[in-house]
Amino acid sequence: MILRVLLLVWIAVSLAAGFLLAPLVPGLGPTTRVLYFHIPAAWITVVALAWSMGHSLLYLRSRRMEHDDHAAAAAELGLLFCIVATVSGSMWAKAVWHSYWNWDPRETSIFFLLLIYGAYLALRGSIENDERRARLSAVYSAIAFVTVPFLFFVVPRLYFSLHPDTIINTRGKVDMDPRIRIAFFSMLIGFTGLFFWVLNLKVRLLRLERRRAEQAAA
Amino acid sequence: MPTGESNFGAAVWAILCKECQTEWRTRYGLNAALLFALTTLTTVSFAAGRLGDRIDLLSAFLWIVLLFASMASLAHVFVREVDGHTLTFLRLVASPGAIALGKLLFNLLFLLVLEAVTVPLFFILMDAPPPSWGKFIALLGLGSLALAATSTLVGAIIAQTRSRGALFAAVSLPLLLPVMAAAVSGTRNQWQMGSVAPELRLLAGFTAAVLGMSVLLYDHLWND
Repeated sequence: MILRVLLLVWIAVSLAAGFLLAPLVPGLGPTTRVLYFHIPAAWITVVALAWSMGHSLLYLRSRRMEHDDHAAAAAELGLLFCIVATVSGSMWAKAVWHSYWNWDPRETSIFFLLLIYGAYLALRGSIENDERRARLSAVYSAIAFVTVPFLFFVVPRLYFSLHPDTIINTRGKVDMDPRIRIAFFSMLIGFTGLFFWVLNLKVRLLRLERRRAEQAAA
Repeated sequence: MPTGESNFGAAVWAILCKECQTEWRTRYGLNAALLFALTTLTTVSFAAGRLGDRIDLLSAFLWIVLLFASMASLAHVFVREVDGHTLTFLRLVASPGAIALGKLLFNLLFLLVLEAVTVPLFFILMDAPPPSWGKFIALLGLGSLALAATSTLVGAIIAQTRSRGALFAAVSLPLLLPVMAAAVSGTRNQWQMGSVAPELRLLAGFTAAVLGMSVLLYDHLWND
């Protein structure tokens, strides 16, 4: 209970700091504020994907249904955050580059993640048997796990990018005004907390449903 | 369960021959794929005309045609087994790896036969300029291998689900995006007399990754 309230307060304070305290980035103007939503959402998309794939591989090794619960719940949440990231990114692109969609490598990558999530959930939806669903979706997740690096790291080298490199540059340093940096990182932490909290709720729900089904069958 | 090297090779060869014979008897898959490819090709040619100078569009069309034909037919190797209730028998006589390799080789052969018909027609109908043959053949070969490897694996997954037709295309497309990107980009580069080495490397790496994963995953696919 305390943690939930703390999370709410944390996110509220970070948002307030972002809007009231932090300055605007010179090149971006008022649209700067999108970075407090767009980038954390994209970050959570990747975290959720890694969590889901990791648990899929763990399921294949141990065949324990808890791993499948985590994989499924993380995938559903990841899809939600992916949609948020894609839509906010697209609106930001319209405001700054005057075009909703350009197949810029980052845009392509986030769209690709959207497809992967969609395909995974479509596959899960088409199998009724619990064990088979867990097994086949884990196999699909494992294949996606090896193909994702190709689209993330290799394809961008084939194409030119519109994406601003002002935030994380090749020197590996984070190049932001300190006030923006504080607000941004605290939003990042807030989003991560939000993700794991809802994930925990979903996993517990799935476990309860399975227990009820087992008791009904017994 | 058969074990040992010679049994593995014999099993793969036997499965390959069986698939070729089954396909030759009815030719359903081959007809469907050829029809898909020809219909797409003639529609584009009819609508857009001869695009001899638009190599960016030409490279995209070629691979779209091949992709459509793959989506229409490469899942049949497994769907046929599940529908005919012969999958259990097959699992009794061969290891999962042998089944996978045999069917992959069949799908590769299938794609190559398809390309032998489609690619010349593409050049004729679309008035495409002559390619740099070495690079073009290398791209076609590696691209087909990547397509076949991914499609075979995904076909094995979706054959055990309900809504196979639509699901196969939806589920394999995200995995095939890197292949399509590299193949289209490489095809365009070879017409521009540029280097296709990065694209070939990507295709080779991708195929190795998928095949490597397949070896590890096929045992899990049929562990009912």
